[in-house]
This record gives sequence, C-alpha cells and structure tokens, in this order.
Amino acid sequence: MRVFAATPFAAALFALPVLAQHGMYLSDSKNPAIGNPEAIAAGTKLFMGSCAGCHGPDGGGGARGPNLVRRSLWHPLSDENIFAVIRNGVADMPATKLPDDQTWNLVAFIHSLTGPASTNPVPGDPAAGKAIYWGAKAGCANCHSIRGQGGSMGPDLSNIGGSRPLAVIRESVVEPAKDLYYLGNEAATVELKNGQKLEGVAKNRSNYSLQLVDTKGALHLIQMRDVKKLTISDTTPMPTDFAKRLSRTELRDLLAYLAKQDIRGKESAQ
Amino acid sequence: MIRPVLFALLLTGSAVAQVSHEEIAKGAGENWLTYAGTYSGWRYSPLTQINAANVRNVVPKWVYHVPGARGLQSSPIVYQGVLYVTAPNSIYAVDGRTGRLIWRYADPRAKANGANRGAAIWQDKVYFTTTDNYLVALNRHTGALIFNKQYADVAKGTTSTSAPVIAKGKVIVGSSGGDGGMRGFLMALSADTGEELWKTYTIPAKGEKGSETWGDLIDWGGGATWLSGTYDPALNTLYWTTGNPWPDYNGSVRPGDNLYSCSLLALDLDTGKMKWYFQFTPHDTHDWDAQSWPVLLDTEIAGKPRKAVLHANRNGFFYALDRVTGEFLRATPLIDKVTWAKGIDAKGRPIELPNIEPSAEGRWICPSVKGATNWMGQSYNPGTGLLYVLTLEQCGMYFRSSQQPQPMKNFSGGGATEEGGQVILRALNPKTGLRVWEYPMTGLGRMWTGTVSTAGGIIFSGDDDGNLLALDARNGKHLWHFNVGEMLTASPVVYSIDGKQYVAIASASAVFSFGLFEPAESIASPVIEIKKK
Repeated sequence: MRVFAATPFAAALFALPVLAQHGMYLSDSKNPAIGNPEAIAAGTKLFMGSCAGCHGPDGGGGARGPNLVRRSLWHPLSDENIFAVIRNGVADMPATKLPDDQTWNLVAFIHSLTGPASTNPVPGDPAAGKAIYWGAKAGCANCHSIRGQGGSMGPDLSNIGGSRPLAVIRESVVEPAKDLYYLGNEAATVELKNGQKLEGVAKNRSNYSLQLVDTKGALHLIQMRDVKKLTISDTTPMPTDFAKRLSRTELRDLLAYLAKQDIRGKESAQ
Repeated sequence: MIRPVLFALLLTGSAVAQVSHEEIAKGAGENWLTYAGTYSGWRYSPLTQINAANVRNVVPKWVYHVPGARGLQSSPIVYQGVLYVTAPNSIYAVDGRTGRLIWRYADPRAKANGANRGAAIWQDKVYFTTTDNYLVALNRHTGALIFNKQYADVAKGTTSTSAPVIAKGKVIVGSSGGDGGMRGFLMALSADTGEELWKTYTIPAKGEKGSETWGDLIDWGGGATWLSGTYDPALNTLYWTTGNPWPDYNGSVRPGDNLYSCSLLALDLDTGKMKWYFQFTPHDTHDWDAQSWPVLLDTEIAGKPRKAVLHANRNGFFYALDRVTGEFLRATPLIDKVTWAKGIDAKGRPIELPNIEPSAEGRWICPSVKGATNWMGQSYNPGTGLLYVLTLEQCGMYFRSSQQPQPMKNFSGGGATEEGGQVILRALNPKTGLRVWEYPMTGLGRMWTGTVSTAGGIIFSGDDDGNLLALDARNGKHLWHFNVGEMLTASPVVYSIDGKQYVAIASASAVFSFGLFEPAESIASPVIEIKKK
C-alpha cells in the first residue's frame, strides 16, 4: 500500500465541500456603501461596538450569535435581507434604531466579511501572490487548477474568489484540516479484483459504485463489486503548514491573488 | 465472467480518449456526442440490444434529480458512460450506469436565467452556454473550468438557450430573445480558446441586401437562432433555422418579407458566409419561428435522387428542399387544420388566405402560436425510411396591439392563445411528404419532448402526458411506456456502456435512465479502510 504523503499526489486538496456548497451569494444591492472602503470602515466601528459581543469580532460567531461568515455558505442572504435583519431584529436579536446610511455601512462591513472575496477590497499584492501560487514554495498548482492550468486532484480554483469570502479562503489555506471532510474530495486508493490499482480522488462513492479521478486526471467509473479494497483518507491531503511555510506578507499576497479568481471577473485570467 | 475484461478496456480507453471530429461525424453509437445524435439531425441510434421484441422488458435503472430543476429541456451528451446534462446556468456530469453525480458546475451570478437545451463535447472538454451568453469549456473528467468567454451582450436583448454544435473545432452558438426585439445571429467560436471566428447576422443591416424588406425596426428585427442546427460535412455547410420577425404580432410596422426571419439558412462552416436561404413564412405575424429540425437526407424526390433537407415547419407544412442549392422541391400539409394558407406555390411561397393578420378583436387561426410542430426532437430511421415528427393540431386567437414597439421591454406587439388541441406523433415518408401512420396522444398540448429511433426498430418518444413510450417504428404500434410523473420537456437519447444499452430522458426535474431487466445481484461489500492521518 502506498502512502499518500510519499506521492506527488499528496499536495493540496482544498478542504471546502464541493457537493454540498450552495456557492451562491444573493446580493444584487446597488447601494453605494457595498464595496466602498470608507463605508466598510465605518461599518467595522459600528460592528465592533454593537455586534461583535454576540457575533465575535470577525463575525465568526460567539456564545449568543451565529457565525456570519460560514453561515453565508449554507444560507446566503441578500444585502437587503441583512439590512432588514439589522433593522428589525430576528429571534433573540433586538431591532436597531440606526439611520439608513449607518445601517448600510454595517451591511457593507458584513458583506465584506461574508460576500465573495472578489467583490470586496482585499489587502495584499495579487501580482506577487500569483508568483507564490504558481511557484514551488507554495506549490498550489500541483493539485489545483485555475482556468485549465494546474493539477486535478484538488478542487478547481478558477472561481474561488467569486464564490468564497476571504475569511473562508484564508481558513482553508491555513487550516485545511479544520473543516469537516466531505464526499467529493476524498483521497482514495482502489485495488480492483483484476489486480489493477488506481489512486486519486473519489468524486463520489456509495456501497455500489465509485467515481474516481486518477492522479493523471482521468475519470474512472467503477462498480464496487469489482473492487477488492478501497482505502480512503479521513483527512485532507493538503499540507497544513502554510502558516509556517509562507511569511505573513506572502500569505496575504497569495490570498489577494486567490481573491481575484472569479469566473465573472475581467482580471481573473492567470 | 466477462466483466473485468470490459472494465479494463474502459480504463485504458478513458485515459487517452479525446472526442474527435470523425467520432462525432460517425453519428451515435455507444456515445451520443451532439445534440441530435448525428450532424444530419436524425436522432438515430444503431444500437439493437433493446428492440421491438424485448422492449417490454425495459425497466428504470436510475433517476438523478437535478437540484432545483423545473422544466429541464436538456438532451444529454453521453461519452464513455458519462451523461452531461444542463440546467439553466449549470451542468452536471452523471455516471450513466448508476445515476451518481460526478461533478457539477454552476454560475449562479449569470445576469439572466432561462432554459438550456444541452451541452456539446470536443476532445477533452465539455461546453455549454450560460443564459447571458458565456461559452463555458470544462474539463470533462473533473468539471474544472478551462475557459469561459462572453460572446454576446445580454443588455442588447440576446440570451442563449440552445445547445452548441461543434464541427471541426468550431463551436457554433446561436442567439435567443427574438420576442423582445434583438438582432439574431449565428457565431463560430474556437473550441480551444472561445475566441470569435465569425459572426453572421440573420437580419441584414440597413442598406444591405434584404434590408428593403423591412421598415425602420430592422435593427431589432429578431430572427433568433435559438435551436441547434445540422451540418453536412461533405458540403461543409451548416443548416440553421431563424425565428420570428419582431414585433411578433404587429406586422404593420415592418412592411415586407422581413428577411431572413422564419427561414432556413445554409452557411459555410469556415466563413459563416450565407450560401442560400429559404424563407418559409414571409412577413410572419403568428410567431411561427422556423425552429424545428432541418433533417439532412439523400433520397429520391419526384423521381430524382436529391441531397435534400427536410423541414416540418411550425406554419403547418412539411417541406423538402435541395440542400445544395436551396431549391424548393415540395411542401405537403403537416397537420389537418391549416386556415391561413391554401397551400404552397411552385416557388415555395405560401398562398395566403384573406383576413389572417392578428387584430384588436382577435383572429382565430390554425395552427396555434405553438405551431404545427416546434423544436421537439424529430428522428429519421434509415431502417424504415420514415421521419417521425411530433405534431400539434391546435388553433388559437391572435391579437394585435396598437402600442408603440418597445425593444427589450418584453413587447411582442400583441398576443395569442393556445386552445385545446392534440399532439399526434406522425410518421412521414420523405420521398412523398405523405403520412404513413400516426399515434394520437392524450394531453393538453403542453409537452416539448421529442423522439429518438433505433436500429432495434423502435421509436422512443415522450408523450403529452408524462410518459416515455416505445412504439414500433414500422407501424406506430404501442410497445411499452413508463410514467415519469411530470411533464416532459426534453428529448430522449440512447447510449451504451459495458455492453448494456440504455435510453435516458430528462423530465421536468430529473434525468431517468432505462435498460433491460436484470435480476438484482447481491453486492458483497469490499474492504474499505479509512486511513487516519
């Protein structure tokens, strides 16, 4: 049995769920506060004063309020919905008496936390981040592809900035094993009854069939009755040392580059 | 035990295989590589494992519910056992033996959201278009994006609904939106990069030849190309139909024939240059787009061998043209009740009856706005020599509005009703244009499903009441049916994997796949080891 860490395939799988994701941000608001750095800064102040107590300083959730960043993946809200929740309250959350413009500043801040990274101002130098992404030190392209370039073992990142908040992208890079592990990204080795051995990612599997993309990127449709042994890794094969491997600046720049990857963006070409 | 051998072959195959032009041109077999199965628009499969003698043993094999789908119109592309099914702004790769999802790609931020009729495949990429006119190319194994490229602007009234057709590395994409005012076109994009290779408008610009058949509204004339077309590799010619002129029901603001609306265009694949055109319904005021299949067939017509193109038109007539020259050969009634024209003259022009224009009070005309047929997949079976067309016997009231035309405001210059009616599957003889048999259906005339026919002597067709059915291709005799429990709005496809034949169809919300009954086999669980890090 080969061990994953010893193969080139061992590099990065993105620990985000592919099958379960809604991948949808429901914002259509044309309010000028959205994406405006000044409004976001004003909103940050308000948030820290009135909201962080329950929702945590980064919107990551606290004892009394839900995680606003992660929740948006499963249950996206439009800017108008967020506005209405702040204005009217919901469940135990009280209503507010903020004027419209200040409420919109708050929405702009929450949007910047929870909206797709590509729609918000992101610190760092994407050009420098591009070099890091495609370079050997980070090695992202060994497993991930962007617009047809790169490996096929990890999830495609062509739209990562267009579908994920920055905080979620950061967490996935720095702590890839923290997330739950989902069907669709499992590292798998299969021994078939005919002696053949395949290694790759299980795109899907059940007791009866397995859909596997091998390390060369070729898809195999396998019936489980033809399988002698299936070995599944219960954690991400993505390296967990990026916080150490990259300097703070490098990490920031890498995130700035990833934030730009948006299938609807003009600058997303690698 | 033969299974491991087949399996090993499959594995070797999938590691290297690339879908080539020759493979698509060969037509359907194990795979279904282009929207109509063949470039000639036959929707014909040479597979015979399921045939007229054993089709009664067909049972459902799996169902894949497309998340959130309503009114799916996608005709799946099948390659090496994988089905590629589109829904609005999304595409799903599904294991053709088990119905298990392999990957999906979705673009929920598209600026429009409408029907999508299917994907295309070329080399190692799968293609589809978003409603707001992006051509999307994906790695067929993983669903990873290779490129997406915008080729038209939704802000100019154009959307995309049709399945692209790929010929010799050119992705042919059409245009939709002709009921709201836009200028129709057909485009060829590079399959490698998405870059534009040519663009041919279906409505001339002011001053160009044909523009004299319009008034001032020519810039918004419609003539959308919202259904995939057919292709003759030997003539290197594309055959594409165009939609209604705009505004649909008010003809007084666009005096003339309104070229090249409601027409069949023959275009050179390499340049997009028009070789000829044939207009079925000059100055249409009943929204009878020419969208229905231009079926390419070499046959004898009036005693002469012809390279023909057959066309069952929404206006109620069944046409045969010479596909080399565009010469009109013949037209016969497709349905029983046609009240707007007495017939078609020797040059192919309708002999119109008086008082057929929509009016403020309404005008009762047959066929209805939905047409005598529509974009439902039709099929030609070389074994029986018959063409199978879903037809609709229905009439309706046509109204004209005197309102000033407003492009892109969902204004069609009036309206129309669809009242009662019956869907009838008809077998037509291409040589004579006459009916050979027919199969009437129960329902409300609301289906959009189509047919496929096989060398096994059967036609699979959706009916007007949510059944997939199998008929004897020779005589239309009912052989089998299955109730999918909801309206059918897509056409079936036939494929094979591991030596087993399947027939699949998208219903309103799910993809169903059927095959011959086999007793269940107990599957012993293999050893599954979960490795801890």
